[in-house]
Amino acid sequence: MKVGILSFQGSFLDHSKSIHELGYESLLIKQSKDLTSVDALILPGGESTAMKKINQFSNLLTDLDLLIKDGIPTLTTCAGTILLAKEVIGGEVTIPNIDIEVTRNAYGRQTESFEGSVKFFENEDIYCFIRAPKISKILSDTVNVIAQHNDEIVGVAQKNVASLTFHPELNNDEYYLNWLNDFIKEGKNVRSF
Amino acid sequence: MKIESTNKVKKGLAEMLKGGVIMDVVNAEQAKIAEKAGAVAVMALERIPADIRADGGVARMSSVGVIQEVMDSVSIPVMAKARIGHFVEAQILDSLGIDFIDESEVLTPADEVNHINKQSFKAPFVCGATGLGEATRRIAEGASMIRTKGEAGTGNVVEAVRHMRTITNELNEVIACDENEIVALSKKFRAPLNVLEEIKEQNKLPVVNFAAGGIATPADAALMMQLGCDGVFVGSGIFKSGDPAERAEAIVIATTNYNDPKVLSEVSKDLGEPMVGINIDTLSEEEKLAKRGW
Repeated sequence: MKVGILSFQGSFLDHSKSIHELGYESLLIKQSKDLTSVDALILPGGESTAMKKINQFSNLLTDLDLLIKDGIPTLTTCAGTILLAKEVIGGEVTIPNIDIEVTRNAYGRQTESFEGSVKFFENEDIYCFIRAPKISKILSDTVNVIAQHNDEIVGVAQKNVASLTFHPELNNDEYYLNWLNDFIKEGKNVRSF
Repeated sequence: MKIESTNKVKKGLAEMLKGGVIMDVVNAEQAKIAEKAGAVAVMALERIPADIRADGGVARMSSVGVIQEVMDSVSIPVMAKARIGHFVEAQILDSLGIDFIDESEVLTPADEVNHINKQSFKAPFVCGATGLGEATRRIAEGASMIRTKGEAGTGNVVEAVRHMRTITNELNEVIACDENEIVALSKKFRAPLNVLEEIKEQNKLPVVNFAAGGIATPADAALMMQLGCDGVFVGSGIFKSGDPAERAEAIVIATTNYNDPKVLSEVSKDLGEPMVGINIDTLSEEEKLAKRGW
């Protein structure tokens, strides 16, 4: 099993560590030519404006867009979620694949970044929110809420895409890794949810 | 439940900057050019290091007006510098809601013995280091990110290379050491034992380590990345060059694709004049900024 991780900049190595903990291979993708056959994709956190700029060089995101639309299981965190959102407040729409509106830097600056309790499916744990976006609107009833911080929606899933605004890769707790394993494996079998 | 400014959140922002370029800017206009070129953060300054070097005199924290102007103009994180040991400058920056504080040798030190106790601030800190001892002392004081000191404002990468190689070699010595040797290594490097133990456990520095000081070209940035840095700071190199927007972009692409010479040659084409460099040998000991800090 091989998981491709968008590696323009940001926390791609942390995600790669999660994949290695599951015993899978990770592929750090920076240009279209790096993209060989992968079973799942991760779009990590970082700065979405920088990622968009770096993308202009090889247009890798156009290829990833095709893979995502083809049904490959795709996890996004933070800036990765902004890249896939259908609408973006305070930023630009990039490759819309999930029917949500996100608001960039919605909690404020770094001094407002925090560790907060998150109900991720059935499990409750503490995760980091770093200059995080907010999922400000859900634009389709096929979008399922999978994570909540207090009353706020901080994670959603729609078809083959799961999008979070926090950073489970900085924890790599057992619940998250088990979920990630199922997410990748299930996608390989059915290519849709 | 919600807790702000924990160590994990502070180090987390540094993780998100990895693989990126942080650019020195002196006003909103430059900040916007940097953001558009793909900078992951900007450093708000009144004068860039090359001008601080040329002007002489005491270099202090930038005016609050300049910092706020930059903070209001971009959506990426904004950093600002405080003098070594000047905890009140850091308090002011913290109260402005700055995203990262650089306790920097580029400014004139305010305390010749003590660095700032960085634990008590909401904003994370980045500090310069020339070797593992300095890096670990800063981490023990609460730094969430380390950068090489290099020799700022020279456009000469040689010192950054020296510092990165020293940090890597010393780090490898700690990682490879037998547990009976660690106390002696702690004395040898004047490195806090608990940080060395953390290094040994993780087989790496416990915080992100960027390159800084003298990076002027896409090739310089890629060199530092190939030497193992997590990202780069570019100070005078961009806005002292012929075509800042183009150079900034080229350095961003080079930092991501640091291992691909084809890409590096493509982005290095038609870049215009780089900043004029200074040979380190021509600087007197007092002129070397890397000597500042303890």
